[in-house]
Amino acid sequence: MTPRSKENHVLFLLIVGLLAWLVPGGGHFLLKEKKRSIIIFVTIVLTFTTGLYIGSIGVINPGVAKPWYIAQIMNSPMVDLLRRLTAAGDYPVYGRPNEIGQIYTSIAGLLNLLCIVNAVYLAHLLRIESDGGSKCR
Amino acid sequence: MSIIGALVVASFTAPEKIGANPQSMLWLLPLVAAIAVVYKATKLPEIKTGNFLKEVVILFGSIVVFMIIAGLVLCVLSWLITE
Repeated sequence: MTPRSKENHVLFLLIVGLLAWLVPGGGHFLLKEKKRSIIIFVTIVLTFTTGLYIGSIGVINPGVAKPWYIAQIMNSPMVDLLRRLTAAGDYPVYGRPNEIGQIYTSIAGLLNLLCIVNAVYLAHLLRIESDGGSKCR
Repeated sequence: MSIIGALVVASFTAPEKIGANPQSMLWLLPLVAAIAVVYKATKLPEIKTGNFLKEVVILFGSIVVFMIIAGLVLCVLSWLITE
């Protein structure tokens, strides 16, 4: 691999990772894994939305629950927009709805982190395979 | 914004009423299903509907059975300690 192509490879991996973070399943979509990307998108968005429905947008509150917020932001940077909405504390939520909402939204984020890592790894493998193929020719 | 749109937004600004009772534990089932679906979507080399569903159901069942066993073991332990 030449230094130039190595740079391009790292840039491609970064783009795949960023797209997978921006839109759940986006990284796999870029790698032409359409079935996988649709399954990932629907499941993660549904899980995150269920969490918000149960606990309201008040479950996104880094002031009170920072570790949960770190997991929630893994869903997409758009979660930060919700944080801005709830920053004033206008949506208080306590008890079991808060727990279940936080668990759902955070698990959705961690699942998306798994998908980001998987998409970057797949992109890396595809590059290695294509390099191996071109060397054989 | 239409009335339906306003209702949809409003449903995300107030929490649902869920009591701290044993039935609330059933909320773990959709979460386990989501975990099984996403995990298998990343792990299977090829996504074919029948095989994918089979793998997801097996993983879902394994997680639920393991959680039930873990719950029973903890129950027995707490009973032994407190008796």
